[in-house]
Amino acid sequence: MARTVALVTGASSGIGTALARRIAGEGRDLVLTARRVDRLEALAGEIGGQHQVRVEVIGADLARPGAPAELVAEVERRGLEVEWLVNNAGFGTGGRFDRLPVARELDEIRVNVKAPVELAGRLMPAMVRRGRGAVVNVASVAGFGPMAYTATYAATKAFLISWSEAVAAELRGSGVSVLCVCPGFTRTEFQETAGLDVGGVPGVLWMSAEAVADQAVAAIGRQTVLVTGPLNWLTSVGMRLAPRSAIARATAMASRRRTG
Amino acid sequence: MSTEVALVTGASSGIGEALARRIARDGRALALVARRVGRLEELAAALRSGPGVEVHVVPADLTAPGACPELLAELGRRGLVVDWLVNNAGFGTNGRFWELPVERELEEITLNVEALVELTGRCLPGMVERGRGVVMNVASVGGFVPGPYMATYTATKAFVLTFSEAVAAELAGTGVEVLCVCPGLTRTEFQSHVAVDTGILPELAWQSADEVADEAVRAVGRGAVVVSGLVNRLTVNAAKFLPRALVARIGGGVLRPKAG
Repeated sequence: MARTVALVTGASSGIGTALARRIAGEGRDLVLTARRVDRLEALAGEIGGQHQVRVEVIGADLARPGAPAELVAEVERRGLEVEWLVNNAGFGTGGRFDRLPVARELDEIRVNVKAPVELAGRLMPAMVRRGRGAVVNVASVAGFGPMAYTATYAATKAFLISWSEAVAAELRGSGVSVLCVCPGFTRTEFQETAGLDVGGVPGVLWMSAEAVADQAVAAIGRQTVLVTGPLNWLTSVGMRLAPRSAIARATAMASRRRTG
Repeated sequence: MSTEVALVTGASSGIGEALARRIARDGRALALVARRVGRLEELAAALRSGPGVEVHVVPADLTAPGACPELLAELGRRGLVVDWLVNNAGFGTNGRFWELPVERELEEITLNVEALVELTGRCLPGMVERGRGVVMNVASVGGFVPGPYMATYTATKAFVLTFSEAVAAELAGTGVEVLCVCPGLTRTEFQSHVAVDTGILPELAWQSADEVADEAVRAVGRGAVVVSGLVNRLTVNAAKFLPRALVARIGGGVLRPKAG
């Protein structure tokens, strides 16, 4: 009898770690994946002690072609059945696109877009056969419109939102759900990695990774697109209704002012 | 002495071929790229028989790893400089996502998204340095709305739309233009490759590839996005004010694969 697990990618920090803790709190066994295996092992020990769940660790660099397929093969080799797939791994790059290293932009597309699609493609058929399961894609409020100076990142998140909405509609009545989580500013390592200066962002706009994870897990099977927090929700509605060119120009101006 | 060319990907048929013909009419030298060298040679011969346009044929499969840098290296060897980059190559898949071969979905992302970003990233620095150039990205009205049964395709186009608008805003004032072309239903080989029943769609909604190409070339320098065709412009604007879940259901009704 296969053991049912939730597979969380990018679990070594930020929203991924918070999601792993929160899902363990539901009594679900976990498979944690990320590049930094030592951090995953520490987290697995901690979570396994707090909640009565089994937590396994599989190291993977999802920017590498072939890594998602190997991850799925390893999960199967361990006799585990993925009921929840949490596509959380992702990163952002900031700067004028023509000055950014192309290789890093392509890695961003592989981690933020290709890996979620591949993992979903490999795991969803069994979910549909069993008549239950969930795919959670972590996008961003940035995915609701063009964001200058983080063009590729916003575009990867626009991909995830559009893709999630479409596949969720295809899955109606199958017992399998898709949830796309769109957080706004969240206190994690993300901003540092993307090289973003967020000093001017007012405190009221920030959420903790734990609050995002709580809302996300509560929304599984209930809705398709979750924008966390009322201010982010208002932002997302505004971005959908505003002329798209105005969003692009406004984000360009804001970035130029910050960087001088 | 180098020759400035318009590099057109996916030039062997449909909108790509129409764009090549339309750009040649303005007297620009061309570099045509696609896998089918025979079709490219035929097109090149037809274009060369017109008023003195220089046409280069560069066969390439842009889904192959390393294809983009190799293509640009080949242009360099021929003394060609990319002044216009027309990212037109792309394809769509159709069906329930979990029933589609995942390898093909990934190829779709490689071609529609990765190759476009890579060619743009490698060509832009030279354009910005020269203070002129055009990047034309062919997306789709599908980029504005989620498309069930074409989830990955419409998501790649949402990516291209968002990415193009953001980079266009970043490059304001550099002399380099970024234009995202969003056609709707266009009479090309595209429909015969996807199993959509297009018979139910009204005649008025269709455009020819030549009409799309003409609108696209005339729109260069006049904003970041051109939605070709009046019906498509009305659709995109109306969809903005409807709930996305409803739009997804309407789209799903049109795009649902025929039974059997």
